[in-house]
Amino acid sequence: MPRCDGVTRREFLRVGGLSALGLGLSDALRLRANEKAKLPNCILLWLDGGPSHLDTFDLKPDAPAEVRGPFKPMQTKVPGIDICEYFPRLAPHTDKTCIVRSLTSELGEHNFGSTYLLTGYKPSPVIQYPSYGAVVAHTRGGKPLLPPYIAVPTPSVQEGNGYLPVANRPFAVTGDPSKPGFQVRDLEAPGELPVHRLERRREFLADIDRIGKQIEENGVRQDRDAQFEQAYRLVFSPAAKKAFDLSAEKPELRQRYGMQKLGQSCLLARRLVEAGCPFVTVTDPTWDTHQQIFRTLKEGYVGGSNGKIPQLDTALSALLEDLDQRGLLQETLVLVMGEFGRTPKLNTAGGRDHWPRAFSILLAGGGVRGGQVVGKSDARGESPADHAVSPTDLARTVYTLLGIDPDREFHTSDGRPIQVVSGGNVIQECLQNGGKS
Amino acid sequence: MLGRYILLLTFAAGINGPAVARVAAPDFETQVLPVLTRAGCNTGACHGAAIGRGGLRLSLLGYDPQLDAESLLHELRGRRINLARPEKSLLLTKPTRQLPHEGGHRLGKDTEAYNLLLDWIKAGAPLEARRTLQALEMTPSAQTLSDVNRKFQVQVTARFADGSREDVTRWAVFTPADPAALRCSPTGEVTVLRRGQSVLMVRFLGEVGCVTALVPVNEAKPTANAPARHNFIDEHINRTLDQLHLPASPRAADEVLVRRVYLDLIGTLPTPEEVAAYRADRAADKFAQLVERLLARPEFVDHWAYQWGDLLRITSNRLQTQGVAAFHGWIREQVKDNTPLDRMAKEMVLALGDGHRVGPVNFSRIAGDPRSHAEHLSQVWLGVRLQCANCHNHPLDRWTQDDYHGLAAIFAKLSRGQSIQLQERGEVIHPKSGQNALPRLPGERFLNADGDQRQALADWLTGAKNPFFARTAVNRLWRALLGRGLVEPVDDHRSTNPATHPELLDALAKDFAEHGFDVRHTLRVITASAAYQRSSLSLPGNRTDDRFYAKALVRALPPVVMVDAVSRVTGVAEKFSGLPDATTAIALTDSRVPSVALDLLGRCDRNQGCGAENSGAGSLPLTLHKINGSWLNDKLADPRGRLHQLLHEKQSDEVIVAQFYRLALSRQPSATELAHWKGKLSARDETERKKLLEDFCWALLNATEFCCNH
Repeated sequence: MPRCDGVTRREFLRVGGLSALGLGLSDALRLRANEKAKLPNCILLWLDGGPSHLDTFDLKPDAPAEVRGPFKPMQTKVPGIDICEYFPRLAPHTDKTCIVRSLTSELGEHNFGSTYLLTGYKPSPVIQYPSYGAVVAHTRGGKPLLPPYIAVPTPSVQEGNGYLPVANRPFAVTGDPSKPGFQVRDLEAPGELPVHRLERRREFLADIDRIGKQIEENGVRQDRDAQFEQAYRLVFSPAAKKAFDLSAEKPELRQRYGMQKLGQSCLLARRLVEAGCPFVTVTDPTWDTHQQIFRTLKEGYVGGSNGKIPQLDTALSALLEDLDQRGLLQETLVLVMGEFGRTPKLNTAGGRDHWPRAFSILLAGGGVRGGQVVGKSDARGESPADHAVSPTDLARTVYTLLGIDPDREFHTSDGRPIQVVSGGNVIQECLQNGGKS
Repeated sequence: MLGRYILLLTFAAGINGPAVARVAAPDFETQVLPVLTRAGCNTGACHGAAIGRGGLRLSLLGYDPQLDAESLLHELRGRRINLARPEKSLLLTKPTRQLPHEGGHRLGKDTEAYNLLLDWIKAGAPLEARRTLQALEMTPSAQTLSDVNRKFQVQVTARFADGSREDVTRWAVFTPADPAALRCSPTGEVTVLRRGQSVLMVRFLGEVGCVTALVPVNEAKPTANAPARHNFIDEHINRTLDQLHLPASPRAADEVLVRRVYLDLIGTLPTPEEVAAYRADRAADKFAQLVERLLARPEFVDHWAYQWGDLLRITSNRLQTQGVAAFHGWIREQVKDNTPLDRMAKEMVLALGDGHRVGPVNFSRIAGDPRSHAEHLSQVWLGVRLQCANCHNHPLDRWTQDDYHGLAAIFAKLSRGQSIQLQERGEVIHPKSGQNALPRLPGERFLNADGDQRQALADWLTGAKNPFFARTAVNRLWRALLGRGLVEPVDDHRSTNPATHPELLDALAKDFAEHGFDVRHTLRVITASAAYQRSSLSLPGNRTDDRFYAKALVRALPPVVMVDAVSRVTGVAEKFSGLPDATTAIALTDSRVPSVALDLLGRCDRNQGCGAENSGAGSLPLTLHKINGSWLNDKLADPRGRLHQLLHEKQSDEVIVAQFYRLALSRQPSATELAHWKGKLSARDETERKKLLEDFCWALLNATEFCCNH
C-alpha cells in the first residue's frame, strides 16, 4: 500500500529514482561486474560430514568385500573414468569434471578436518582462518549489490570469515529452497517504508555513534556499518532481490535439479552466481555415514531410491548442464568435497568411520581441465598411491583458479600479516592452461 | 559417534643430538618410547593412526606401551626386533633408511637416539617398567624478553615415581601454539617472533606442559600513572600490564559504569531515574552499594537462571515442558537463595526420580547414555573437553581412556528416560580391553565397582583438592562480566591452554572456595576491581589489547538482554506466544519459545553446549530484519508505544530526544547532540515530525552504543 506522503519504495525505483540514491544504470550493470573482470565465480558443494570416497568416485572392485562394499563402478563418457553406478546422470558429464583421488589430510575430526579443507590451514588455537568464500568476498571489493558470499541454505561453522572482517561472513539464506513459497526473510519491508525514510534512518544512525564518541570507530562499529551497507544495497535493488526468487525458473528446470533441498539449493546457487555473486556455498550436512552407509547413500530409507548419491547425481549433473548451456561453466568453478573420506573397512554398524588419509574431491568449470582423474589411492583406498594432494595444495589450486594470488597477504585485526595460503603446490594437472593463467 | 572424536595430530621433530656414553639397559616406557615419539613415528599421520601404517601400528604418541610392545616384539615374526642381530632390526634399519621407509629418514645412525634403541635391543628388549613418569618441570616456565627475535633455552626435567629426575629436553616434543609468534628448535631453544604473550607446548610421554614467553607490546613503559588497585584482582592484572608495557585506560564515567553493571548483573537497562539517583549519590562506596542492591533484585535471578539454562541446556526438546519447568524452577530457587555452588553441583550429580517433578534430576536427563553423561558433566563442572579420550588418550592433556570410560562407568547404572533411577546393574565397555570399564574419578583413582559411586564423584568434584571445579566456575563468572574468560574457551581448561593470568585464576578460585562457593561474593569481588571499572576507550598504546584488560571490552548485548532493552526503550513489550504479556526475555525458561528476533540475534538453542559468542550479532539477516522486519518497526509505529505517548503529551523535540538518550544510552545527550538533532528533526508539520522522530528512534536502537555493553 502506498502511503499518503508519496511513492512507495517500489514505485520510487520504477519511476527512475535510482539516480537519486546514487544507484545509476551503471550500478545495475554491476550485477554482472565479475564477468567483465573475467574472474571466475565459485559454487562450492560442501558435503559436510565426509562423503565416502570408496562409494562415490574411487571404487575398489578388486578389494575384499568388507572394503569394496556392494556398489559397482560404472563407465562414464570418458573412457577410463569409472565412478559409482548410482551416478547415471553425472556419468555423461565426466568430460567436464576433474576428479582428484589422492587428497590426504591428517585431521580426522569434523571441525578440524573442515577447517583444513575449507581454509587450506590446519586449525590453530590462536587464529581463525577465513574460508574460501570469505577470501573471495574480501578480494573482490567494490560494492556489489548481492552479498559477495552467500550460503544456501546455511553454512557450516567453518565456512566463516575467520580473522577477516565480519562483512565477509556468508549471508545465510536459511530455510529450504525446495519448499513451496520459499523466500529469503526481510528482503522487503511489509509496511512499505518509502525509500527516503530508509535513507534518512541510515543517515541518523551514522550520526549517533559519530557524534556520541562513546564507542571507538573500530571493530564492532566498522562491522556494524559494513553489514548495514550491504543490507541497504540489497534492499534498494529489485534486481538483486529477484536473484533469490526460485519461482522465476521454469518448472521443468526446477524438476531437473531435483525437488529436494540439495537440488533446489544448487539451482539457487546458479541464479545467484548468474546475478553476480562471486561465491556461493551449498552445504549439505548429511554425509557423516557411521551407520548403514549403503542404504543411506543409495536408498535413503528402506526400499527408497533417493539416497545421498541419487540426490547428488541429479543436482550436480543438472548444475553442470545448466551452467554449460548458459555459457557460464567456463567462468564458474564448481567444487564438490567434504572434510575427509570414510574408513576402507566397514564398522560393525554397517557404516564407515572417518578417514582423512585418502579421499576424493571433484572440480569442474572455471578453468579446470575436465575429462580426467588426478592422482590415485592404493588398492584399498587407504593412502594416496600417486600424487598425494594436501588441502593446502588444493587451496593453492582453488585460489589460483579464482584469480587470487595465494601468496597475497592479509592482516588480522591486530596487524599481523598472514598469507592466503602458506606453502603447498598448485595441482598443475587440474588447470586448463597448466597454471599459466 | 565414536569416530567423531578421533583426534589426529602431528608433531614433527627431527632427531639429532650426538651420541653419549652408554648406560644400563634403557627402560622401554620412559626411554625407548620417547625416542619413537620424538622421531614422529607414532603421530596420527604415521604409525599412530588407528590402523597404523605400512603394517606397523603404534599407539598415538605412545599412550599405550603394551600395544607398542606387542607390535614391536611379536608381530611380523619378530623381525622388527632382531635379538640375534640387533643392528638388523627393522626398528633401526627402517627409520635410518637402510631399508626403504615411506616415512623417510627419521633417525641418524650412531646418534644418541639410535644407540638407545640399539642398547635396548642388545639387552634383550626388556619390557619390565623400571620407573613411571610423575611430572614434568619446565625451566623457565615463563620468560620475559625485552624484544622480539631474542632467544632463550627451555630445560625439561622429568620427575619419576622412584624419586629420580632426569633432563629430558632432548626427548621432549615442542610445539608452539602459534608458529608465527614462537619458534622452538628440537633442542629447546626458543625464539620469540612477535610482541605480546605466547605459549610453547611441551610433551614428554603422557605428560604435557607449557612455557609462556612474553615480549612487551610497547617498547617503552607507559608514562601515565600506574593503574589503580582496588583489590587482589588488580595486583595480577596490573603486573601483566606492567610486563607488557600496556597503559591502562582510566575509570569509566559514572553513567557508563551504571549501565555496564546493570546489564552484567541483572541483564536489564537502568532507568533514567536510577542513573540520576546514582549520579547524585555522594557516598564514597556508592558503587559497592549499587552492586549490593542489584544482587538482591528479582531480575538478577532471571538473568543468571537464563545463563544457567544455556549452560545446562534446559530445553523442552529433551526435557519436555514439565522437565523445563521443574529444572528451571529449581535453578531459580538456588540462584535466589544463593545456594553454594558446590551444593548445587552435588544435588545435580546425585538427584534421582521423576524429572518432571524433581528439578535437578534433569541434569542427568540431558545425556542419553553414560558416555555423553560423562562428557556433559566434565564440560559443565570441570571445564574440560573429555571427548578426545573416548578413542585414545587425550593428546593435549593428561586425560586417558581409563578416565573417560571410568567416569562414564559411574553413570552406567542409571536408567534413562523421564525418570532417572539407580539400577542393580549397568556397564560401560572399555574399547581397549573389551571388558567392563572400572569406575574412576578422572585423573585420580579407581573406585570399587560395587554399589553407587556417584557420592564419591560428587565429593571429589566439589572437594577442596579438586583443581577444576572452582576455577571453571570463577572463569565463567569472569567471562560474563569482563567479556573474555581468563581461559578461553571456558570449557577447555587444560595444561596446554593456559590462562592469560594463571595466578589470578587460582586466586579467584581460592577466594571462591574460601567463601563457601558463594557466587554473589565473587561477583562482588570482580565488579569491585579497577579492571572491571575501566573505560572502553583506548589510550595510545592499548588500542589492540583484547585480553589483558588494559581497557574494557565492548560486547554485544546477549540476545535476550537486547530484546528486553528494545522493549524497555520503545515501551512496547515483546509478546511471547502462550506466555503472560509482561514476560521479559531474560525470564524465558525454554529456548524453544518462538521468537524471530531471538533467533536472528543468535540465542543458544541449547541442543548442544554454546559458547557465549552469539553468532547472529551483526549478521546480515539480523540487519535486514532491523531494516525491514517487524521487531523494531512495529514497536516504533505502535500508537501505545513510548514515542507516540510523548507526542500525544505534546512534548518538545528536545524533551523527546533527551528522554530517549537517557532510556537507551543511560546518559544525557550533550549540547552538541541536542543541537544536531534540533537541526535534523525540524519538520514542516506534525505528520512529518512523527516520522522524523520514528526514524531517530530507529537509529538509536541500532547505534552501537545501544547494542553493546561498553
